[in-house]
Amino acid sequence: MSLSIHHHAERSPIYELHGNAALTLLGERLFVAGSQSDSEQLQCCALIDLSNLPRVGFRGTDSATYLQREGYQLPDAPNRAVVQASGESLLRLSQTEYFLLGSLHDGGARIASEEASWHYDEGQANYLLPRQDSHAWFALTGAYLPKLFAKVCGVDLRAEAFSVDAVVQTSVARVNAIVVNAGIADLPIFHLLCDRASAHYLWGALLDAMEEFDGKPAGIGSLLDSATSAAG
Amino acid sequence: MTCPLNGPRNISEFTYGGELKQMPDPNTCSVAEWADYVFNSENRLGVVTEWWMHTASSYWFLAERHTGSDEILRTFDPSELFNQRIDFAVPEAAQ
Repeated sequence: MSLSIHHHAERSPIYELHGNAALTLLGERLFVAGSQSDSEQLQCCALIDLSNLPRVGFRGTDSATYLQREGYQLPDAPNRAVVQASGESLLRLSQTEYFLLGSLHDGGARIASEEASWHYDEGQANYLLPRQDSHAWFALTGAYLPKLFAKVCGVDLRAEAFSVDAVVQTSVARVNAIVVNAGIADLPIFHLLCDRASAHYLWGALLDAMEEFDGKPAGIGSLLDSATSAAG
Repeated sequence: MTCPLNGPRNISEFTYGGELKQMPDPNTCSVAEWADYVFNSENRLGVVTEWWMHTASSYWFLAERHTGSDEILRTFDPSELFNQRIDFAVPEAAQ
């Protein structure tokens, strides 16, 4: 039986825009699978919906200690990210706020359990920031990324100014967003996190902006392949 | 404007938060003093210190701005002025 979004309660905010695209399961979560031609598309210019992949935030003066105890490596300055050995990205947004992005390798299982296992401790200033239902998550890939972002964002995101593991919190197509350079050896990748209620608009705005670079939506299959080969 | 956390950004990314004012002690000040603190602004001509927020990161900071020339002289993290936690005692009547 083919997978149907209607059999799953957890849906991306833009699932209606995926039309009849083939779906795939990563853990218990549904994503657009993508096609064979996606790997070429990814190198050129592609937009991928990762909104169903788990993510969570923590804030407080004790958050750094808490996350280190959980086995995470932390960025030593705000607006930097560190990719963990198991594939998660850990973003530092301010002196005391962190944002964790789940890995494609485990379907975000580690981050999901991180959120589930947190509990309020009066003696510890470490507060959970649920991000699954507040933000949408898109991945953008390809050689045209800096040119694409120059059209919709006021910050210089060319490689010389925006290195791998850099984070910017800014406005993208008039929507507040967090952009992370998550590029790997043979593929430029930006992760973009934005207000979930604006996802519908931003998806369309980004596709419109990438039209001149032959940008198209893609699935997670090729992205997962690239991430796996880079990690291997 | 240069955000102390995020660097130089378009002014459209910022939200104004009002003048920096000394808060009177809510337990001892008069109603008139408290109302003045909450509602009134000095609106001075000259260099003033104001609250601003970088909207994309919800980060509040302070800026010194000349209200005549609109020139922003300095922006800085509020921890320069606010370096300890302030707890408010709940008045007994409210408990």
